[in-house]
Amino acid sequence: MTIDRATIAAYVDGELDDIAARRIERAAEADPEIADAIARHRALTATLAAHYGPVAEEAVPNRLLDLVAGADRVDTSLAARREAKRARFGAMQWGAIAASLALGLTIGLRPWLPTEPVAVQGGALVAAGPLSEALDTQLASNQPADAPVRIGLSFRDRTGRYCRSFESAAVDGIGCRADGRWRLERTTPGAAATDYRQAASGSLAAAAADMMAGDALDAGAERAARDGGWRR
Amino acid sequence: MRFEDELVGLLPRLRRFARGLARDASDADDLCQAAIERALKSRDQWSHGTRLDSWMYRITRNLWIDERRAAARRGVQKPIDEAVLQVAGDGAAHVEAGALRGDVDGAMAHLPDEQREVVMLVLVEGYAYREAAEILEVPIGTVTSRLARGRETLMHLLGEAA
Repeated sequence: MTIDRATIAAYVDGELDDIAARRIERAAEADPEIADAIARHRALTATLAAHYGPVAEEAVPNRLLDLVAGADRVDTSLAARREAKRARFGAMQWGAIAASLALGLTIGLRPWLPTEPVAVQGGALVAAGPLSEALDTQLASNQPADAPVRIGLSFRDRTGRYCRSFESAAVDGIGCRADGRWRLERTTPGAAATDYRQAASGSLAAAAADMMAGDALDAGAERAARDGGWRR
Repeated sequence: MRFEDELVGLLPRLRRFARGLARDASDADDLCQAAIERALKSRDQWSHGTRLDSWMYRITRNLWIDERRAAARRGVQKPIDEAVLQVAGDGAAHVEAGALRGDVDGAMAHLPDEQREVVMLVLVEGYAYREAAEILEVPIGTVTSRLARGRETLMHLLGEAA
């Protein structure tokens, strides 16, 4: 071979000027050994591209995107997200939380009555009684149509906790599993407050979308998570 | 384009580069995270109008090398020095040709860090030799010789050598 490997590599890597490249091409036509070497170099590049290429097609994890977004105080998309967050936690939600808290405080005073859906434990609003039980055991994929608590989405939030959205007569919301109980991270009035029903369910879905890392659990993953006791 | 937008646009490629260096997917994303944090903290050092991608690749690569050196000091792996590199590179020649056919991760793991990063920059990320040399802050001749050695080893292990 009259052309060294470095030159062949440079040719394959597009490092040669037109004249030098033409010279290699002519040499490859005359010498199958050179043509072979070029083909092998190209094959390696193609193998590497096929192996690593898909990584660049993956969705960038939220933790990396958030890092960049969080650094930027005037980012419009961030401003939009804050706006959405404010809207979700508007007067109606605070009202619902106050109502739930009042309810929870009542329950707190009567712990022998476990039939109420929410309670306050260690300063946090948590699911209790039938709501806690539904969040523990009920699967969205096979729940009775007349179940008193309807499970919506189950997903993992960015800290890895399992969270589930739910609707019931008294309260709708999102509970996240932490320290062996369902901490209620979002609450809105339930079906009993029919006037706000539409808005509440939409804002819950938006809240869930904002909280979740990746996609919501499918039926199989939901079952597996339940069977695993919702441990991270 | 604004710094943050450009940075976000780079992330898919940066993750790919990090995956090549760190091999393990979550290690690679940890590396990306550290690189982003470093970049945001020292963004004043990036001069507007110069290429953000080269700057980010350099930060990522330097953090990786730091990490490897720290790991070596903790005794997790051998220190990176030229003598060890030579041995590691030559060691692969004793592996049967084509032994790692189809196993790109395994074959890349046989390369010393300094060859692997050049292979990633030129063959995967598509940088010109001169650009790779700037990112790594080494002469072009160093890029071409490391690339040649890395390539040879990969062809041998993957069964694409003559």
